[in-house]
Amino acid sequence: MKIVGIIKNNKLITIVSLTYILLFLAIPDKAYSSVKNSMYYIIEMLEIMPVIFILTSIIDAWVPKEVIMSGFGEKAGVKGSLFSFLLGSFSAGPIYAAFPVCKMLLKKGASITNVVIILSAWAVIKIPMLANEAKFLGAQFMAIRWILTVISILLMSYLVAIYVTKESIPIEEEEDLNLKNGIDLKVQYCIGCGLCEKLLPQHFQMIDKKAKCKEFILKNEQIDKLKSIINKCPVKAIDFK
Amino acid sequence: MDIFTISLWGITGTVFVVSLIKSKQKTFESMNMARGMMKNMIGQIVGILFLIGLIITLIPPEVIKSVLGKSNLLLSTIISALVGSITLIPAFVAFPLVGSFVDVGASIVPAVSFLTTLTMVGIVTFPLEKQEFGLKFAVTRNILSFIFAIIIALTMGMIM
Repeated sequence: MKIVGIIKNNKLITIVSLTYILLFLAIPDKAYSSVKNSMYYIIEMLEIMPVIFILTSIIDAWVPKEVIMSGFGEKAGVKGSLFSFLLGSFSAGPIYAAFPVCKMLLKKGASITNVVIILSAWAVIKIPMLANEAKFLGAQFMAIRWILTVISILLMSYLVAIYVTKESIPIEEEEDLNLKNGIDLKVQYCIGCGLCEKLLPQHFQMIDKKAKCKEFILKNEQIDKLKSIINKCPVKAIDFK
Repeated sequence: MDIFTISLWGITGTVFVVSLIKSKQKTFESMNMARGMMKNMIGQIVGILFLIGLIITLIPPEVIKSVLGKSNLLLSTIISALVGSITLIPAFVAFPLVGSFVDVGASIVPAVSFLTTLTMVGIVTFPLEKQEFGLKFAVTRNILSFIFAIIIALTMGMIM
């Protein structure tokens, strides 16, 4: 059963390995040159991969997101758009990781325009990622694509705001913090960074690359600790319920 | 290592030291996060890197050139955008993958449309987006992102 699980979680590498094995049996020459061709990209990747992950994490930890988030609102105008770009560009994780963050900002009064900017910038504009793009596709390619993307995101954010009104977005009512009796963890957003497990191993555990919340009864003295992990979660997947 | 990578290491090293001086705890937490993310993605990254080798070796450059080259550019661009929309691989490994295609003669126009829809359009994550922001928002944003991806790609083809 365990092996089945490992294969299921690593479909791609399993398929690729099987292809290689078959190729080595059928046409060893081709298999050998495939490995050789891959080596170039593997070496290039090893040179740049650790640095990108480290830089992304440090940026994520130090950019004062709370300050940026407080600069939002319907009337925030150009400043709001700029802050949206910064927030999106400086955060770690794939686009769906931005959903809970944007939902929270919408509740706080952020406009549709700014939410589209955050989502799009979060998806395509990452400083460490730009470095990666320049390495494999050239600095000129990266710079032109970046400029065109920024322009497109701005145009798009205004277009979406014309068609979509805030009324069409489902927003749940805020609950009283005193009524909280547990932890809600949206597993589908978890990027598996493992921060919650490292900080509060008594409450969180990583299972199959996703955080799981252990059953417990919420007590007052834990609320502060939990609040801090709720804020630290890079994708805001943890909340009280 | 090229100058580019070396300077990136330099910058990151400096940032790391500054971060360490300012707050040891915060730095360690962020390193934990970096390690967690890397551990999660490493299987996929290694898989794609070896896939690149297979593609380059087994698919003759002439085929890539004729399918993704300068002829029938619009069609290949739209198809690449569609493939990008349904694929869910980290953008991080998409760059060497796309780079390897461009190296053997693919046009940059489909390459750009693939890269842009890969990150901005999410068919796989659509149900999540709909749940959080409603159907109208999710549909509008994804369709517009798709159209703009193609516009960006075609514009880049004209500039470069």
